[in-house]
Amino acid sequence: MWTFLNMETRGGIFLVFSSLFFLCIFLPICLGLYYINKNRTYRNWLLIITSLIFYAWGEPVWISILLLSTGFSYFSALLAEKYRGNVKGKIALIASIAGNLLILGFFKYSGFLIDNINGLIGTSIKVPEVGLPIGISFYTFKIISYIVDVYKGETEAQKSPFKLLLYVSLFHQLMAGPITRYKDISEAIDNRVETYQDFNYGVSRFIIGLGKKVILAGTAGKITDIFMGTDYTRLPLLGAWFGILMFALQLYFDFSGYSDMALGLGSMFGFKYKENFDYPYISKSAGEFWRRWHISLGSFFRDYVYIPLGGNRKFRIRNLFIVWGLTGLWHGADWNFIIWGLYYFVLLVIEKAFLLKLFEKLPAIISRLYLWVAVLVGWVFFYHNDIGQAFRFLGIMFGPGANGISSPELSIHFWNNAVFLIIALIGCTPVFSRIFKRLKEEGSKGKLIWFIETYGKPAFNIAVLVLSVIFLVGQSFSPFMYFKF
Amino acid sequence: MKKLKIDTIFFIILITLLGLVNLINTNKPTVSNLENRALKTMPQFSLASVVRGSFQRDFEEYYSDTFIFRDNLVKISRDVNKIMAFLGPDISIVTSVEDVQLPPVIPEGEKETVFPAPTGSKANETNENFSPSNENTQTATPTPTPEPEKDYGDDPNVGYWMVVDGKAVQLFKFNKESIEYYAQVINKYNEKLGDGVKIYSMIPPTNGEFMQLKKYKSITDSQNDALGFLKTKLNDSIISVDVYDALNKHKDEYIYFRTDHHWTALGAYYGYCEFMRTKGDTPLSLDRFEKIDLGDFLGSSYTKTLDKSLEKNPDNIVAYKPLTNHKFTIYKGNEGTKADIIDLKYADDISKKYLVFISSGGATWSKVKTDINNGKKVLVIKDSFGNMLVPFLVPHYEEIYVVDSRFYNMNLTEKNIVEFVKDNGINEVVFCIYMEDVNWHKFMSGVENMLGSEN
Repeated sequence: MWTFLNMETRGGIFLVFSSLFFLCIFLPICLGLYYINKNRTYRNWLLIITSLIFYAWGEPVWISILLLSTGFSYFSALLAEKYRGNVKGKIALIASIAGNLLILGFFKYSGFLIDNINGLIGTSIKVPEVGLPIGISFYTFKIISYIVDVYKGETEAQKSPFKLLLYVSLFHQLMAGPITRYKDISEAIDNRVETYQDFNYGVSRFIIGLGKKVILAGTAGKITDIFMGTDYTRLPLLGAWFGILMFALQLYFDFSGYSDMALGLGSMFGFKYKENFDYPYISKSAGEFWRRWHISLGSFFRDYVYIPLGGNRKFRIRNLFIVWGLTGLWHGADWNFIIWGLYYFVLLVIEKAFLLKLFEKLPAIISRLYLWVAVLVGWVFFYHNDIGQAFRFLGIMFGPGANGISSPELSIHFWNNAVFLIIALIGCTPVFSRIFKRLKEEGSKGKLIWFIETYGKPAFNIAVLVLSVIFLVGQSFSPFMYFKF
Repeated sequence: MKKLKIDTIFFIILITLLGLVNLINTNKPTVSNLENRALKTMPQFSLASVVRGSFQRDFEEYYSDTFIFRDNLVKISRDVNKIMAFLGPDISIVTSVEDVQLPPVIPEGEKETVFPAPTGSKANETNENFSPSNENTQTATPTPTPEPEKDYGDDPNVGYWMVVDGKAVQLFKFNKESIEYYAQVINKYNEKLGDGVKIYSMIPPTNGEFMQLKKYKSITDSQNDALGFLKTKLNDSIISVDVYDALNKHKDEYIYFRTDHHWTALGAYYGYCEFMRTKGDTPLSLDRFEKIDLGDFLGSSYTKTLDKSLEKNPDNIVAYKPLTNHKFTIYKGNEGTKADIIDLKYADDISKKYLVFISSGGATWSKVKTDINNGKKVLVIKDSFGNMLVPFLVPHYEEIYVVDSRFYNMNLTEKNIVEFVKDNGINEVVFCIYMEDVNWHKFMSGVENMLGSEN
């Protein structure tokens, strides 16, 4: 099944939070060893070692690249700090960024580049068969943000290479983000305080993330597979919409669930990471969507690409174009991702030009509807590596290529999953937290709030956890046909 | 707040407990009856496998495969899904991907290399992530395997199952190219075998065709149309046996299982009758066979869907044993072993009872020798639907040969099918392959491969 992590690993093996092994062996051992000793150095070393084991669970050789990048950046950051403001400092900065991007480029994009060169000028250069070090897109960006922040004087360079390694390799956010900034956690490396409150919050957040990933994304993924990537000559119009809607839900719950688990794990170990998602599907424009979706990536591009290029002040359109092209490319080395990124460039330009002003005069439902359609069309490109297939699919969504409006098959799948759809759609919105907040503000419902906090939430979390474990085991079900055919 | 909350405590206890219980539990299952498969075993630890990452992957699979209470948890997850579907029409559609591992094709002149028989040729373990690694090539002999000159259509088959009213039916998605390919393959057999060998094509439809559900009728493509299309593509000298009409006349009878994709012995009997009539022979009446009731049966469709309505209402499976004196031999390579044509050693496991027919049908080839000296010798090229047919043919032939392209291995028998037919003096060939396999390119390329590579 497709998951957000696949794009990063190309089907490689790696340890995910939502695996029985992680949940029942890795995590309890990690927590146990961490909390038996209060010594900060011990705890930091433990996190480094467990993170490296976590990383090595996939393909251990790639640790070398991680260590290489970290070591190289450690020294260049020291130089960048020492010679801040003069040429030497700038050289250290540029060398480090270039070095890290070269590594990323070599592993992630050389195949794509060579394919395109071959296609363009008819050469037949062989594509080097290298794997992709897991999480490289994420930790490369973490390292770059660190170096730049050091150079700009926003944070001090880390004097201990091991503490820098801790920042880069921390298993909570190593594979799939969030792309935390060094300056946001540098204080916590030395002086974090683990509290019961944070631990409680961490567990609760982790469970919610696990449920999102295993129950919601898992179910949405199964339904997606029924409609997408199938024989499109048979697909009816509503089937295409149902399929892409399920894919949108799968993506959101998969990725935001993973981010929730990362935040939760961080909190269990005394780290506070910034939020990575903020209910993106309730947005009213593409611009707002990207302020709510994968926030750590959007802010990275804003702070380290868009603003240095001149931001809104000069060449705004050019800057936007570059940022969105890169955003697309970051998601995968293929043209469909670049198109997907540039599609948002077009939307943002149109929105800025007149659409947002127009929406202000119209009821909010129109802009919400626009956002959903816009995002779903975007996901069509995200899903299909084959651009032709993407357009075929769009053809079905918008009429001409569709095999009728609906089908009995679709109606069966729709009604069988109607309850799931309702739960999932509610899960995309902040209704519950808003209701709870309003209750709190009213002040008169103290007893009810107490009851929810003491019994309601914990009971809900326990139910989600148990259900997640059941679903996790259920996923390993793979019947084998003795006498099929 | 100065203490851990109840859900936090529960979380810690649960993950630790599950970890410990799985660690302590030494009595790990090795076989899943629920899934009809061997469970992953603890991988051998070696530095090389760790570096490659295969140890980690195998270990994780082993871990989840042998997780405590796994079967129960799987069933609960199924129930939860069912409950979630309460707004639905009480019909579920299940998609399942299946694959076969066909024996290798070896060019003439290299036959002396004996290949290991494909183990459990119904490999369902094809893992997308599996890159052709060293382990795979090591099992092959040093002989270079030739590149196939053409595309054999390697795609696995996607089956669509619909569970409605306690009955699982297989839906049909008409694929014109595959049907045309079936015709090509059969025509090729016709050309290779020449005029002396009569060729019959009988194609049992899937049970989806006779589903009595008007509202959802259009959910499955018409197999009758597909068969009509096929007729225009077959050589004139190939005789089509119209099983479709024969079954259609009896569609209200118990001719298909509810929990399995096969036809019942009664369905196969109607198929046999039609075959005999087509040949101008008279079929025997059912009471001329010995009826054996094998009891309850929960077949492949149940395993795929784990549907409760199927579980509650299992099938009854019956076999009809020919009373004609005969000797049934199954061959591994060219080494024969005597077996029962209705082999009761498979009748113990509720989910595997279909294997009693011609002793599982998984031999390289098999043979029935009767004491009828009429000179009629037939070769049945079949998938598992044919297993049901063969016992009915016994009273009519001197010799019956049975071959399944998934198990027939030219390197072991040292002859391709044309040689096989010639050497045994066979004068009739019957293709008994059900609609879903006819409609699946890869299966039919297996049938084509049996002609040998000089084709």
